[in-house]
Amino acid sequence: MALGELERAVMAQLWAAPGPLTVREVHDRLERELAYTTVMTVLGRLAKKGVVRQERDGKAYRYAAASTREQLAASLMLDALGDVGEDRTAALVAFVDRVGPEEAAALRAALRDAPAPAARPLPEVPEPRVDGEDTGPGS
Amino acid sequence: MASVWLAVLALLLAGPVPSVLARARWPQRVPRAAIVLWQAIALAAVLAAVGSALAAPEELLRALGPEDRRGTPMVVAVVVAATVAGLIVLRLLGVLALLAVRTRRRRARHRDMVDLLDRAERSAALGGFGARTVLRVLDGAVPFAYCVPGRAPRVVVTDGALDTLDDDELRAVLAHEQAHLDARHDLVREGFVALHQAFPVLVRSRQARDAVGLLLEMLADDAGRARCSDAAMAGALEAFVAAGDAEVAARLERVRAHRCGGPALATGTYLVAAAVVVVPTVAVVIPWLSQALPAAGFLR
Repeated sequence: MALGELERAVMAQLWAAPGPLTVREVHDRLERELAYTTVMTVLGRLAKKGVVRQERDGKAYRYAAASTREQLAASLMLDALGDVGEDRTAALVAFVDRVGPEEAAALRAALRDAPAPAARPLPEVPEPRVDGEDTGPGS
Repeated sequence: MASVWLAVLALLLAGPVPSVLARARWPQRVPRAAIVLWQAIALAAVLAAVGSALAAPEELLRALGPEDRRGTPMVVAVVVAATVAGLIVLRLLGVLALLAVRTRRRRARHRDMVDLLDRAERSAALGGFGARTVLRVLDGAVPFAYCVPGRAPRVVVTDGALDTLDDDELRAVLAHEQAHLDARHDLVREGFVALHQAFPVLVRSRQARDAVGLLLEMLADDAGRARCSDAAMAGALEAFVAAGDAEVAARLERVRAHRCGGPALATGTYLVAAAVVVVPTVAVVIPWLSQALPAAGFLR
């Protein structure tokens, strides 16, 4: 199975779970013929991407989604809308560039109000406007 | 005089010309040719500015008497000219490089997240639409569709879009996004975004960026119209339209009016684009070189 699809399946389990899961629990919920170490690798990759939180629980690690599905979807939409103000880096091309202000407000509210731990927003890139002084990549 | 002429040309191409072109309506009839014209104007403006700076000291040299040629004014002129020309080129290249890095990083992260969030059962159900690019479906009631360009492109639609659009309209939207991806419209846009970031004031680079952005959308709309029908494309735009968005209103009006320019207008626009780059070179730079090179001791 493709790694991407496996990551998606693991995330689906974490989003569906009531609380943080151990590697074993994720492995059992996946209901597929997978090696334990494969699940561990996938969780490690997801943690590296910042979408999964890793917390120590006694001897074992437990894993949870860093933000809810709704939060992540809302932050993606805002990114696609170019919600970072004047910054149009041409990273994405939207069918209709700007959704109305109400929709954008609804997305921001979804990002704010969801009851899960703080979402990790996509890296925002402020545009150098008049002075044009860049602050460097990823600052 | 070459330096002066090139400076005048650079100022014209940086200010009044983009202003007039951004307000004109005819470019919307031939979006592809109009985009080429915008690119030609931008290229010619940068070349003229750099050429003007580089030609200045040599002209000063010929204007001065022989005894002044090795003096301080000449050194100052050469240093100033090289600095101005260098700043223009380095600034543009620097901004372009930084933008390219940031764009690709943001895009890669976005693609990762879209892959994680995909509602696989819904995107699999869209297989019948024959999309050539990996499709992703996001949760969300806001009707929205976009593409993530690059080497591993994605077309993303929301649940809301799938609920709002009928099959023909969805096909038109997918054809629109595919046109963006196939023709790498993102690279065209990136060039104008970089130009604006590099020279945000004095130059009408914002108009250029926004006008080209709109023309690219219209070009992709034309792909949707060709693949499906004007009605399907208009229906899709209507479904997505937010009240009071001037750009979408312009696109919608254009599709509804079946507006599209003939080959004559397109050919004329391409010819003007070529002339913008070629004529200054032939009329100003070549005569200048034929004087300057012998004066400097070359081509004797």
